[in-house]
Amino acid sequence: MIKLILNSAVVLIVGISTAAYANSIDALERERANTINLILDKTISITERNNKLEKIKLKLLDMERMIINNKNINKNPSYQTVKAFENFELTFLAHSSIERDKSIAITWLEKIGLTTENLINTRVTRK
Amino acid sequence: MKNIKLKITLLLFLAPFYSYSCLADSGGTDWKPQIVEKMYVLPPQHLNKVLNNDFNKSILAVNLQNKDNIIKNKIDKINELSSLLPRASQEENLEIKHQIIINKRDYIKDMNDLLGMKKQKLVTKKRIFNKIKKRINLKSINSKHNNAFLENKKNAIKRAQNLDFKILESTSYNTSKKSKYFEQYQVNKNAINTLKLAIEKHPMSTQNILSKDPKNKMEAIRSYIHNIETEIAVLEMKEQIINYMAKIVALDAMQLAEKVSEINVNDVDTNTRGINDPTNVINIFTKS
Repeated sequence: MIKLILNSAVVLIVGISTAAYANSIDALERERANTINLILDKTISITERNNKLEKIKLKLLDMERMIINNKNINKNPSYQTVKAFENFELTFLAHSSIERDKSIAITWLEKIGLTTENLINTRVTRK
Repeated sequence: MKNIKLKITLLLFLAPFYSYSCLADSGGTDWKPQIVEKMYVLPPQHLNKVLNNDFNKSILAVNLQNKDNIIKNKIDKINELSSLLPRASQEENLEIKHQIIINKRDYIKDMNDLLGMKKQKLVTKKRIFNKIKKRINLKSINSKHNNAFLENKKNAIKRAQNLDFKILESTSYNTSKKSKYFEQYQVNKNAINTLKLAIEKHPMSTQNILSKDPKNKMEAIRSYIHNIETEIAVLEMKEQIINYMAKIVALDAMQLAEKVSEINVNDVDTNTRGINDPTNVINIFTKS
């Protein structure tokens, strides 16, 4: 019984320490994924989506700015962190949208190549 | 007289060993600088000051000072004894010369210890500067790998800062749009800018420009190491001088020993001439 308690305590301590050292980029990535899910969600109305996106944008802004100003990531940055900074527009969606004066949804869609012009030019074909 | 002869023989026997003692440990207690990790980031000249202060508090520094005082006393004693020589009788002359040689021997021993301690100090300092040099090298290798990433991050910071006004404008007119981070961001940013300006204007900041740049820091550390190496080379030359001094003392001791033995031989000769030489007693044999 004591052994079991000790083991669970060790697992808990390891869990806590891992959480404490979790990469802040991970949190941003999760939030970004939620945002994109919201953009692509067909079950909600446009107004609802816009309201939710406005709220999420503030959170994203905070998180993005915190990562941009985080000096700790300069030491031994992970591959994920290096790639994140290589793609500013896709990683820092909120900042990018403010920079372009466009919504987050449009910024993301344009960045992955889904522009209105591209879509108009697309022909539906049957193979 | 016999006592002096014994002492001189002992001195002669010991003298050659002093020349080798330069290679041996000085006997001064170790100096282990209490340098904490954070001190390595200090500008070289500050680090040098910290090291010197640390040394001044060490036992080695106390021993060095004590030894220096002992040496000064020895020199005074040798000078005092030398001044007595012209007025001394033959017997006193021998004793004074013997005392001078003993004092010279002690001086050489103490001086050798002093040089050893000085060398120990310099070697320790050199080891610390070499450590810092290695750290800077390692840092520059790591930074080369991170260069592209740091460049991207710098651009990101620049782009983000350019958006400050836009973000504040868009969040300020609507209270529901207030962000926790940006509420404090502008206040903190202004404070940081004020402090940055103050740092730039600070007279010590301009003085430290040379040491801030890693390249210049490396150059400064190299120059410190070079200076230490020069001092060590000078000390090694002084050790050579001590070796020669030891040889001279040994020769002096030999000369004195020879003088003493000459006197003794003369004493023995006169005694034997009186008793054992057959030429002295020829008359006795030729008389009939």
